[in-house]
Amino acid sequence: MADFFLGAVPLILLFPLIGAATIAFFGPYAHRSASAFIGCLSIGLSFVLTVGAALVILPLSPAQQAIYAHSNFVGYWAHLPPDLIISFRLLIDPLSLLWMLIITGVGLLIHVYSVGYMASDKNYRTFFAYMNLFVFTMLLLVMADNFLWLLVGWGGVGLASYLLIGFNYDRPVAVLAARKALIMNVIGDVGIMIAMFLMYAHVGSVAYQNVFGHVSQIGTSALTWIGVWLLLGAVAKSAQLPLQTWLPDAMEGPTPVSALIHAATMVTAGVYLIARAHPIYDNAPAAAELVAVIGGVTALFAATIGCVQYDIKRVLAYSTMSQIGYMILAVGVGAYAAGAFHFMTHAFFKALLFMSAGIVIHALGGEQDIRKMGGLAARLPFAYWTFLVGTVAIAGIFPFAGFFSKDAVVDAVLNSHHPWLFVLAVITAGLTGFYMFRLVFLTFLTGAYRGDHEVHAQTERTMTVPVAILAVLSLIGGWIVLPHHDELSVMLSSTFGDARLPQSMAEFSGALSLGLLLIAVAGIAFAWIAYQWRPQIAAAFHRSLGGLHALLSNAYYFDTIYHWLFEWPVLAFAQWLRDAFEVDAIDSLPALALRAGGYFASLSNRWETGYLRRYGLTFVVGAVLLLFIYLFVAHGAAVGAAP
Amino acid sequence: MPQVPLNLYLELSAVLFIIGVIGFLLRRNPITMLMAIELMWNAGNLAFIAFARNFIDMSGQVFAFLVITVAAAEAAIALAIVVMVFRRRENADVDDISVMRG
Repeated sequence: MADFFLGAVPLILLFPLIGAATIAFFGPYAHRSASAFIGCLSIGLSFVLTVGAALVILPLSPAQQAIYAHSNFVGYWAHLPPDLIISFRLLIDPLSLLWMLIITGVGLLIHVYSVGYMASDKNYRTFFAYMNLFVFTMLLLVMADNFLWLLVGWGGVGLASYLLIGFNYDRPVAVLAARKALIMNVIGDVGIMIAMFLMYAHVGSVAYQNVFGHVSQIGTSALTWIGVWLLLGAVAKSAQLPLQTWLPDAMEGPTPVSALIHAATMVTAGVYLIARAHPIYDNAPAAAELVAVIGGVTALFAATIGCVQYDIKRVLAYSTMSQIGYMILAVGVGAYAAGAFHFMTHAFFKALLFMSAGIVIHALGGEQDIRKMGGLAARLPFAYWTFLVGTVAIAGIFPFAGFFSKDAVVDAVLNSHHPWLFVLAVITAGLTGFYMFRLVFLTFLTGAYRGDHEVHAQTERTMTVPVAILAVLSLIGGWIVLPHHDELSVMLSSTFGDARLPQSMAEFSGALSLGLLLIAVAGIAFAWIAYQWRPQIAAAFHRSLGGLHALLSNAYYFDTIYHWLFEWPVLAFAQWLRDAFEVDAIDSLPALALRAGGYFASLSNRWETGYLRRYGLTFVVGAVLLLFIYLFVAHGAAVGAAP
Repeated sequence: MPQVPLNLYLELSAVLFIIGVIGFLLRRNPITMLMAIELMWNAGNLAFIAFARNFIDMSGQVFAFLVITVAAAEAAIALAIVVMVFRRRENADVDDISVMRG
């Protein structure tokens, strides 16, 4: 049995690819439910095999986990002279297993949810093909054993994200959002590529084993640069400052896409990258410091914006950005396991939040503005209760999952002697409680329904069951880390054995946990006062903020700044080139060629008389001339000599 | 039996060919022009066969057959064109048919 699951590991990667290809090539010839079935089946099989592999690998001793990971799946890929050998190998260790479990597990739930959610979409089959393609590339990203194949997966998830954000291709906004996401992501791809060039220059290899094994031989400054370039990739993919602007726009994609790609899995690839490259950051304190600062600042930055947004999915997008900021902060201060833990719980409750929000949006016929909601708790009780579970979990209330993981992150930040990063993390915790409960109050409570769409309360089983499962996971997901039963720390210890903050995540310092809990409750209380108990306070509050409110509503004007800094100069330069060069210089070249051709044609035109006998005469004269040349010029001597 | 020398065959062939060329250039009736072309084909054939006989090499004979085949095909197509033109214009004078002028 053990051998079966270890041998079947490549199938984990292959099933989603086979699923995507099958749907793409044969889907149009079958009933649309066949595509949905294949889409869910391929992910389900991957999930079963992943669980099997996890059950086989995790009980082994730490050293064996590493050996299994490296020795089993060797495939020769490319040999680039003089000495770069790239093999296609899969690395299965506890870190990649954690990500694989979430990708296939949460991915399966979201695929099943999509069966109901996308039921009325005209491109139903395409959707499942794209989703399977995404899962394949995401698995490739986390299962690769070298940076090149990681980058292939990295680019692949960017492509899948592009395709799915722009899924409603007849809406210009969606197409623009997709393009924006792709461009931002490619900036990150270039960062990883440069980091790979540096690795090759210093180590001569891009395989994890070789690079991490020779970290001590690379100079600190080179190592810092490798860390910074990798960070650029992570920042772009995980929507951290300063490449964060694509994520809110990515909400143009269908809601299951937002749940799977832009909340649970793809955007956490940056966390995975830094956790995977932890030997580099362990030995390059400056780069790690930068990681932590970006994470901490983004966490607070996104949380403040989330407080004033009115689009339900945008609020969730900013909260995703903020929570990933927590993860990046954790891996930046060296608490890799805490970052991975928060990734896991976040995948549960953020997918839950998006899918509950999806039920609301579905019931309201596509409405996403929370000003046109309100009082929905009575009409959509299932969505209300599940959304509430997710909100409580993300706010970090005991005993929900978010409490444990956020506590682990903040505890690690405190122990890493970064006082002001600790302050940022704590303020963010309070703001999280505030903006998430603001969302709950405005959507589900606070007076009567304010919208003009009819509320269609009926919901399909395929949508409710995955949501219910995720609600349970959002409650119990954090219990994997309990005092004396710290399963996750044990599981990840073989990967992060020598990390800077190896302490167990289950050591709760009472004062910190209690303080964090109180701050979250204070944020919730403030949201209750402002949006439920005395709504006029919220209005007065917004007025008193004045310019700050405008600043937050516009996300600190990052889009405007980028427009004038990057977009406008390029467009203006292009316009100038078009006016100055294209019309006069470039366009006139073909015109010149055209005129020259016409002139030569008019010369030869005269020969084309249409008189058959004149052609014949020309032919005879030409033949005689050729004969003459042949006989008396080219071979004159030979003919003359003949008798 | 006295052998006719190769020269005489070739001279006859050249004379036939020149008659064909002159006929093609001077006549305006397409049927006559086609006959002139046939004359040129057969001048070539005569030369082929004379050489084949002289050098005892069957290649020339084979080529003569090929030429006959091609000439037949050419004559068929050309006559078809002439018939079509005549039906359309009630006239087949080649100097009147110059619509293909460039």
